[in-house]
Amino acid sequence: MEALQMESLMGSPLAGSLITSHECVYPATTTSYVADRFFHAAQLDAVALVEGREPVGLVMRPKLLYTLFRRYGFELYGKKPIITIADTEPLILHEDERLDVALDKALERPVEDIYDDIIVVNDDGLYVGLLSVKQMIIQQSNSLANNIVQKEMAKERAKEFEKINQIKSQFIANVTHDLRSPLNAILLVAELIKMSCDNGYKEQVRDRVSILISSANNLKAIVNNVLDLSKIEAGKMEVICESFDLVQIIHEIAETAKVLIGRKQVDIDVIANDGPIFMNSDSVKIRQILTNLMSNAVKFTEKGKVVFEMSIKNNMVMVSVRDTGIGIREEDLSRLFIAFNQLEDGKSKRYEGTGLGLTIAQNLLNLLGGAISIASKYGEGTTFTVHLPSVYKGVYTNSNNKE
Amino acid sequence: MNEKKKILIIDDDEKYLITTKEILEDEGYEVYIQHRPIGSTNAIKRLKPDLVLLDINMPALSGDKLSTIILSQEKDAPIVFYSSNDEDYLRRAVSECGVNGYICKGNIYELRRRVAYYIGQNRDEPLPYGGL
Repeated sequence: MEALQMESLMGSPLAGSLITSHECVYPATTTSYVADRFFHAAQLDAVALVEGREPVGLVMRPKLLYTLFRRYGFELYGKKPIITIADTEPLILHEDERLDVALDKALERPVEDIYDDIIVVNDDGLYVGLLSVKQMIIQQSNSLANNIVQKEMAKERAKEFEKINQIKSQFIANVTHDLRSPLNAILLVAELIKMSCDNGYKEQVRDRVSILISSANNLKAIVNNVLDLSKIEAGKMEVICESFDLVQIIHEIAETAKVLIGRKQVDIDVIANDGPIFMNSDSVKIRQILTNLMSNAVKFTEKGKVVFEMSIKNNMVMVSVRDTGIGIREEDLSRLFIAFNQLEDGKSKRYEGTGLGLTIAQNLLNLLGGAISIASKYGEGTTFTVHLPSVYKGVYTNSNNKE
Repeated sequence: MNEKKKILIIDDDEKYLITTKEILEDEGYEVYIQHRPIGSTNAIKRLKPDLVLLDINMPALSGDKLSTIILSQEKDAPIVFYSSNDEDYLRRAVSECGVNGYICKGNIYELRRRVAYYIGQNRDEPLPYGGL
């Protein structure tokens, strides 16, 4: 398959590369000897007559047998040199002739000679081998079929590419809006602060600076996400290992998530080991992954609880985040990890955020040799489960980003 | 100046509502704000603003869709998009939705200048960027 693909990529193969046999005899060899060879080699179709390495004739199995087994054929010709009943003007082609040209030439011959082998010679006109027309036809139709398959594949790829392009341009549209929006807010607030100062309303300045800081933080988070993602996509994300206590990180993240709840009636339960569980991996990335899942859970849960649970088994750490939030429709699950694909239309989305978090989390997990799974019921809640080796074991290629 | 010109800003983002309101009030306009797309048409009927600044990215109903709803009921509503989207996008949206124009968020000089233009106070000056 691979060889065929190569050939059809380069155009038609050359005659010299498709030699099917090197069979040859001297023109003086007796006919009965040649007939014997055909008898004993069922797969032998043709023999070239070669004198001083130069081809002088060709004998084809059906023609020879036909001649010999006609009445008296064997008695008449058996002892005579093969040259007397051979085709002394066979088709001879140079080894650099292209397969399609060679085939055209073969098929231009009279009907009874069409399937005769072609003799292939080199630059000096010396015998190289035989080219079977039947084989060439098979080869040709194979590569034709292959071309059709390839065309179909190319079409598929083009479609896929278009789809990716669409997602990418949507991505760019969203990223420009989401980067600009907090920046524009910063500019407006800065203008207001200037106005406050001009008008001497000092007490306004403090409030406005707070808005300024929160807008700047918002912008920073988005910029960080975008940079992370491009770093991952460029394959430049490094893993820096150290020993750390996962239980401690889990409690810290739970505390941070509590702040995000605000005035909503949402409880956070942590189910974790009493003692520490030491991992040797990239703590910064694991923190980022889990923080992302927790803040998602809190963001999309209006009421109820978020359960943050961990366990360890056979050196595999499992952390799950279970919420009683809005849930995800089954048909939307597959889109979940596509960058900027917050499940609602970018222009009318209800929730803040770039939709980059899950993509980044999944990519980071891949990098650390882990995986993420999801179970969700629309309207009832979602559970994300992260599986991670407790000890990072070297380089994992990021299969998601090979495209 | 006889009566103050009225401006209604429709935006889900509190920061933009507060800041834009104050900047435009400082310019001498009477500014009203509307936090969400729902109820916008009624607000326009009630207030009869001289200019409506309409955000595009809003929850549940985007500004471009909202504009066509408003215009189907109030065909002369003086709507101008006010957004952080690409200017190219806004230009296209303006012609697709049939609103009066757009203002890019973030450029305060342009905000002042364009508001004045759309409200009809400096029509003689050409628009500084991408026409109507």
